[in-house]
Amino acid sequence: MRKTWGMTEGSVVCCVLVAVGMLLQVSAGPVRWDAMAYPANIVVLAVLLLSILSMHLLRGKVRLFRWMATLQAGIPAMVACAMLTVLMGVTRQVPSGHQPTEPIGITAMLSFWPFVLSYLWLTLLVGMVCMTRLVQPSWRNIPFLLNHLGLFIALVAGTLGNADMQQLFMTTQEGKTEWRAVDAKHHVHELPIAIELHDFYIEPRSFTSDVTVYTKSGITVRDTIRVNKPLSVRGWKIYQYSYDETRGNESDISVFELVRDPWLPYVYLGILMMLAGAVTLFIKNKW
Amino acid sequence: MVSWNDLWLFALPALACWTIAALLSLRSGRQAIVYLLTVCGLLIFGSYIALMWHSLERPPLRTMGETRLWYSFFLPLVGLITYGRWRYRWVLLFSTLLSAVFICINIMKPEIHSKEMMPALQSPWFAPHVIIYMFAYATTGAAMLLSLWQLSRRDKDLAGIDNLTRVGLAFLTIGMLFGALWAKEAWGTYWSWDPKETWAAATWLCYLIYVHWRRCRPASLRPALLWQILCFICLQMCWWGINYLPSAQGLSAHTYQ
Repeated sequence: MRKTWGMTEGSVVCCVLVAVGMLLQVSAGPVRWDAMAYPANIVVLAVLLLSILSMHLLRGKVRLFRWMATLQAGIPAMVACAMLTVLMGVTRQVPSGHQPTEPIGITAMLSFWPFVLSYLWLTLLVGMVCMTRLVQPSWRNIPFLLNHLGLFIALVAGTLGNADMQQLFMTTQEGKTEWRAVDAKHHVHELPIAIELHDFYIEPRSFTSDVTVYTKSGITVRDTIRVNKPLSVRGWKIYQYSYDETRGNESDISVFELVRDPWLPYVYLGILMMLAGAVTLFIKNKW
Repeated sequence: MVSWNDLWLFALPALACWTIAALLSLRSGRQAIVYLLTVCGLLIFGSYIALMWHSLERPPLRTMGETRLWYSFFLPLVGLITYGRWRYRWVLLFSTLLSAVFICINIMKPEIHSKEMMPALQSPWFAPHVIIYMFAYATTGAAMLLSLWQLSRRDKDLAGIDNLTRVGLAFLTIGMLFGALWAKEAWGTYWSWDPKETWAAATWLCYLIYVHWRRCRPASLRPALLWQILCFICLQMCWWGINYLPSAQGLSAHTYQ
């Protein structure tokens, strides 16, 4: 009898996860990511962080938790994720939000339970290994934490924040103020911000709208919005999207794309940490 | 105004420099001239890329042929860095040979394209994203060649492969994250799992597995070397394989014409 768990156990766990995922897929259907919108994602985040913390604190007592922060657990998890990702790469995927076109569910891989559970397991392991480094602060741990904690933050914030992202389209007319916008499914939303279009004009390489943006809290912003030059107001990013193409420069209509992504700063934080971590890979001689 | 027709004018002198340098590097004691000739070749080939950039009025990165140009450029560069750092005598010959293959493909089958670049690609992120990826492909390609060589040897030494993989992985990570930042800015999502991105994720995971495996089982060499080959196959899928993959047809924003 071996005293510690190794890669065999890691592979067994992954196989069990895939099997459980298949059962869930058959019984409950594909993963419903739209149910992950606020406040569900906050609850999931709290549960995830608290379980990582408690498993970390119990690592002295429970062998499984100790093992979760090892390479022997991590490598099979990465292999499982890589295999499912390759499977995704060789199957034709349906557009997001659509039902899979075959009975198993691999054509909607992002909602395929074994895929989601494998990545969740990997994320959990990355979180566990970050804990072991976080509790022993040292300069030598910084490259490790940049790479691993950065990935953890980017992955968790990107996934949990996805359902909170709002992408709406607002059609404005010169001289009028608009606060309603439609989503991709043509549902009308009333927004906490309003846009007054003063003027729309076409320059040689860009379309420009001269606008004033009003918010409920009383802030007004007067600025121009052009292609690739969005305006940020109270968490909303306003992009120049379209205009009345039949009238060109004479168009008195301007269409804006409004994007709200409250988890964006955290995803950026994770990405920046990973970028810094990648740079440390050049500098470090030994890993 | 240079065009694809002028490629051989630059490619032949560059290849000549690289070949002579490679042959000289096989024998010890002529360091300075090896470096000088390789850099000379790089300058000649680099000036062709720069002139193409100028006459196309956009970075030459849009078509398969254009990315091959960068690959032909970066291979001898990575070869020289590897040679300078770890003194593998044969590495320059290998990189020159591979570079020559890509140049020949480009001379015989140039994929010529119009001057215009689609609006989404007119972004300051575009050039760094693709150039960093090309450098990563060249570095990991060199790691794969080293792996093939080491597989045939009895006394295996993976130090060079580890180093190249680490550098290659760093470039893959930076290229991937630049792509994510660019996508967020241009399309509103960091990662949309289009076929190219899916294969990029798979490739990235494969190289991560190699790196972690080397730490976990440093004495288990053969599986590590075989895994390198798998990583490289994944990378080729990501680079050009998806253009031929039925599951990816018409779905990727990344397919080169």
